[in-house]
Amino acid sequence: MKQFGKSALLFVAIGLLLYAGVFVATERLLLRNGHSNPFFKIATAEARDYDWVILGASHAMPFDFADFNALMQRETGLRILNLAAQGTGPLYNRFVIEHFLRAHRTRNLLYVVDSFAFTSRAWNEDRFADAKLIRGTPFAPTLARLMGNYVRRDGVDPRALLDYLSGFSKINNRDRFRRDAWEGEAQFDRVYRSSATAVAQRIAYLYPDATMPDVRARYLKQFADLIAIAHENGIRVIAVKLPVPALFRKQLPNEAEFDAAAAGILMDHAVPLQDFSAALDNPNFYFDTDHLNRAGVTESFQRLLKPLLMTPGGR
Amino acid sequence: MLFTSLDFFVFLPLVLAVFALTPVAQRWAVLLLASYVFYGFSHPFNLIYLGAVTLVVFACGWGLERARQRPLRVAVFVMGLVAVLGSLIAFKFYDFIAGEIEHANLLADFKLPRLGVTAPAGYSFYVFSAASYLIDIYVGRLSGRQSLGQVALFTAYFPKIFAGPIERATNFLPRLLSGLRADPLRFALGLQLIGWGLFKKVVIADNLAPLVDHSFKIVAFAPPIELLISTYFFAFQIYCDFSGYTDIALGISSLFGLDLMENFRRPYLSRSTAEFWGERWHISLGRWFRDYLYISLGGSRAGALRRAINVMVVFLVSGLWHAGLGYGVGWTFLVWGALNGAYQWAGLATRGLWRRIGEALPRVAASAWLRVLRIVITFHLILLSWVFFRAGSMHDALLVLQKIGARLTDLPHLLTIYPFSTEQLTGFGLIAFLVVYEIVDERRPVFQRLADAPVALRWGAYYLGIFALLLFGRWQAKEFIYMQF
Repeated sequence: MKQFGKSALLFVAIGLLLYAGVFVATERLLLRNGHSNPFFKIATAEARDYDWVILGASHAMPFDFADFNALMQRETGLRILNLAAQGTGPLYNRFVIEHFLRAHRTRNLLYVVDSFAFTSRAWNEDRFADAKLIRGTPFAPTLARLMGNYVRRDGVDPRALLDYLSGFSKINNRDRFRRDAWEGEAQFDRVYRSSATAVAQRIAYLYPDATMPDVRARYLKQFADLIAIAHENGIRVIAVKLPVPALFRKQLPNEAEFDAAAAGILMDHAVPLQDFSAALDNPNFYFDTDHLNRAGVTESFQRLLKPLLMTPGGR
Repeated sequence: MLFTSLDFFVFLPLVLAVFALTPVAQRWAVLLLASYVFYGFSHPFNLIYLGAVTLVVFACGWGLERARQRPLRVAVFVMGLVAVLGSLIAFKFYDFIAGEIEHANLLADFKLPRLGVTAPAGYSFYVFSAASYLIDIYVGRLSGRQSLGQVALFTAYFPKIFAGPIERATNFLPRLLSGLRADPLRFALGLQLIGWGLFKKVVIADNLAPLVDHSFKIVAFAPPIELLISTYFFAFQIYCDFSGYTDIALGISSLFGLDLMENFRRPYLSRSTAEFWGERWHISLGRWFRDYLYISLGGSRAGALRRAINVMVVFLVSGLWHAGLGYGVGWTFLVWGALNGAYQWAGLATRGLWRRIGEALPRVAASAWLRVLRIVITFHLILLSWVFFRAGSMHDALLVLQKIGARLTDLPHLLTIYPFSTEQLTGFGLIAFLVVYEIVDERRPVFQRLADAPVALRWGAYYLGIFALLLFGRWQAKEFIYMQF
């Protein structure tokens, strides 16, 4: 029995060493193939100080597809870092900005508001445990500690932290040799043919739970906390609603109620809200039911965002 | 709780620790408590079903033990059997049959009420175990003087509750009474079985699953060659999914010093469909049907015609038992059962002919080539039946066969020009590995070979297996197919 125990211990020790080796190898691979994950962008950011950081869910991501962020920087002369991530609500975005501010600075924060991200834990607490996000997040002890705080304080599943610490999702990543890009980026140049069925399915996906006022209030509070963190760090915050096709916009559930509730929070914190949601109704500006394609991003930038980014204080 | 979930990897060591610290005589109670926690973890309401089935068979067993008059014994027995098997039939088929009746407009515009509930996970398995307990008491193979706790553990034992093996109380209960003790060798074997079962499930089955699902989702759009590939993949997906579960179940049970019955014995190396169903595939279910249905119907004792009918009845009932799987309740399962029953008929009809040929040409009969040929033919007969098992409807099943059949002669050419995806090539690689493993295992068990191998080789194999699970496994908690019964 004693001999069996010794052998078992040795077996486990060798196994842990091998695991450590695989862990290091996957981290290196991530640094080579990382792309759209906000924490990867923070870890590999070239500058310490930025003029603008963009936060939000996937509707904000096309502004960083292909070479568009570089183009925006060239045209405005501003340093812009887009940290939006697919399906992420205010809680996850607060996590991102908190980590960003540990080693970086920004003068302005552009928050892309989407009502769906305020209606369910699926877009907030649960996003921490999403293997696709974890596997693109490079390991950093400070980030692990920060995630630990979210587990303790905000009800994030401890398994998300365990996954991050063990590197399991990275080791187990089937797409480990592919660039870690969100699939939407491959469709950036596509033009969408609108379909009522697809829109209905998309809405059902984005709003998995019936809108509960207390749930929305909880995530608006998280949003207010995010704004407070920004203000404590001397960051000016601007909230925007980006264009979406009319067919999509008209089916959004309880949008007016959300707008009213969000306006209250934003007013309390003196944050302006620019509602561009109806600015581009033509479906040719979208690559799917609700994401801007290259033409849409170009049009939105030139007509809507550029003047906003260039306002006094933007630089 | 799934065997592949993180929750389970926390749960199992905890149960093992409590088990080890508990006196031998009370260990069964630890397993009973663990089994109820395990089963009720995600859906606590399901414990009501489990508790009800346990109480029914325990009470009927108790009644059978005490009833002296035959009519009373028969009444108690029938009541118990109808209650457990009837509930299974109602859960599985009532809504489907009601729908079919309305669809055929048999009741004019009358709408039949619906149950609106399906059987909870693993129901078919523990109901069959529970029914065997009752039957064994009725025929005198088992005493009805079992304690409620031990009957409850027999029904609920967590390694087997979701997908078997369908244990017999005559085997299970005496092992409980003799005391549960784990030893290092059995423990090590248990861990190996768990590892191999996980490999089959999360590396092989779950990597093949999306490819199969993709083709069978909209059969009309899938090219014939893709359907053919997916049919082959499904044969290995279902084998690795189900036998993977069984291996994990056997392995976990070994950790507690309790051996469960073997359920799979390299089925795709069968040389006949009779061997496949009788000795190698889902052995515990096959024996259940043999002992409690086939023999009860008269088995092979009442003449050739009656035997043929009995065989077909068993396979049709088996088909019905499989209905309600993740692929829906439909006529496909009845056809699947009938087809396999027809294979047995063909086997029985030609048995004499093959024996005479074997006697006339003994060298040919004993040749390796003939053995391989028989294995290949048997595999393809089973493969054909899997189409009905997997397809969502009869229309889909026939369309798959029609599309493959229409291009059968072109297939060699199509294979050379088909742009295989990386996932498909990986699938073929995994299947090739499995086949080689099983051939080696058939000659002498791989676990035995490893036990006799030098430490470096043995440990190297273990590390390879573990890291294959970590690197290539799909751990996103996809349910075991047979759990959906």
